[in-house]
Amino acid sequence: MKKGKGLALYCAGLYAFLYVPLAVMVVFSFNNAHRNVVWLGFTVKWYAALFKDAELMNAMLTSLELAAAAAAIAAVLGLLAAYALVRHKPFRGREGYAALLDAPLMMPEVALGVGLLSFLVRAGYELDFGALACAHALICLPYTVGAVRARLKSAGNERLEEAAMDLGADEWTAFLRVTLPLAMPAIVSGCLLAFTVSFEDFVTSFFLAGIGIVTLPIKIYSMMKFGVTPEVNALSVVLLAATFALLGLNAWLASRSGEASRA
Amino acid sequence: MSKLLSWLLGGRKPAASHLLLAPAAAWLLIFLVLPAAWLVALSFAKNGAYGEVIWSLGLQNYRRAFDAKYIPVLLRTLGFAGATTALCLLLGYPLAYFLSFRAGKWRGALIIGLMVPFWTSALVAFYSWMIILGKEGLLNSALLRFGFISAPIGILYTPFSVLLGLVYFYLPFTVLPLYGSLEKVPRSYIEAAYDLGAGRWTAFLKVTLPLSLPGVIAGALLTFIPCLGDFLTAELLGGPRFYLLGNLISNQFLMAQDWPFGAALTSLLLIGLVAGLWAYRRWEPDA
Repeated sequence: MKKGKGLALYCAGLYAFLYVPLAVMVVFSFNNAHRNVVWLGFTVKWYAALFKDAELMNAMLTSLELAAAAAAIAAVLGLLAAYALVRHKPFRGREGYAALLDAPLMMPEVALGVGLLSFLVRAGYELDFGALACAHALICLPYTVGAVRARLKSAGNERLEEAAMDLGADEWTAFLRVTLPLAMPAIVSGCLLAFTVSFEDFVTSFFLAGIGIVTLPIKIYSMMKFGVTPEVNALSVVLLAATFALLGLNAWLASRSGEASRA
Repeated sequence: MSKLLSWLLGGRKPAASHLLLAPAAAWLLIFLVLPAAWLVALSFAKNGAYGEVIWSLGLQNYRRAFDAKYIPVLLRTLGFAGATTALCLLLGYPLAYFLSFRAGKWRGALIIGLMVPFWTSALVAFYSWMIILGKEGLLNSALLRFGFISAPIGILYTPFSVLLGLVYFYLPFTVLPLYGSLEKVPRSYIEAAYDLGAGRWTAFLKVTLPLSLPGVIAGALLTFIPCLGDFLTAELLGGPRFYLLGNLISNQFLMAQDWPFGAALTSLLLIGLVAGLWAYRRWEPDA
């Protein structure tokens, strides 16, 4: 019996199951036909059409702004929280904070969406960009906390801070000159993950976008409602490419700083 | 100023720790805990004739959730979550095993390969399934071309396409914990089983499988719990008349304007979530 040949083949099949749909979408986004399933030659006209669509470009811009805002908030909150969780001497309630900070990962997005929707409306707050950015920052927070925590925990960093303080630096100076530069790769990585999470989030935005706000995933969704069209193919590929680019950038930074990031 | 900052960062007093954690904790309190508590409160209220909330508290919304009209949705949600979990475990275990024991130098690349669909927008992934499964989709065209069918068959917008979408989306959630626990199985135990005369199957069944059980439980919960609240899969692949709990909840808030009933359904979902996590916590220490 050839050892594990069948198993390897099975796994290849499973990876095909995961990737074939994405490949199909990419291939047909270059297809010069309105009907998706017949190949009538190569074209980039669907992509060209996207860039001429002002509404779509607006949605893209909204998504970029939203992701930047959410990642920035999550980065600041996450850095402070991760620092206290890792560096401070154990205090009562630390486990509770850690569990609370991971809660957005387990919370079903529908529950989060309808909860925030009815809560904000009840509080008399009009759903606007700010509200959506706050909600996105919430779902991004576990990623920035996780990335920075892992980096601060990794051996050696703490000793460098102690060395700085032995040499006469106070905690603030040691933080600015030693901890922050050391944590920077993790902060960047956490930001990139947060940006990705926000940029491709659909469900939370779906419930909270109110009337005037259209993000890229919401735009894709409303186009999908009219069925499978080459424009949606091209747009989906753009979103997919953005995800790949962000994750690739993250992996590249991680390999440069010699640190595995939490993904 | 720098004295104050140093005091905050030094963290010799618990107050400093609480202060550093306060912004993040406040964020979670305002945008997660309060809305969840608010939903629970709302679930005991009554819906007025014009969709307004009437604060006469009672269990009517919960009673309604369990009447004959909605029981099928709850059962269907449990069934789909259970079936998805079972399928993901069955399909994913051999893959996790391969990654841990056989993948060799390919392991890193294969694990990253598993992360990519995990990070891909579900919207995009399900859209590509729509291209494949639709009436004029790839699968139907292929089946027609090779003469397996004479007219396009409905594959998209059926329970099957929803199950397929769920398995597709949650498979990495199952495989990664499975892989993690298989990595922790001491290889010497398996060697010992061989030395004592066990065949490969016996060694697997008596040693590897039992020792990987924590991963099976973790993978099952990490699949089952999010499945209970899944909204997008049925929304996109199930067609307009196919409901899971998430879609029913969404409808109460966005279409039917019956917020108290929607809040009761959401509370049931949260109860299921907490029960699952609690069971996991209870089980975990002796793993």
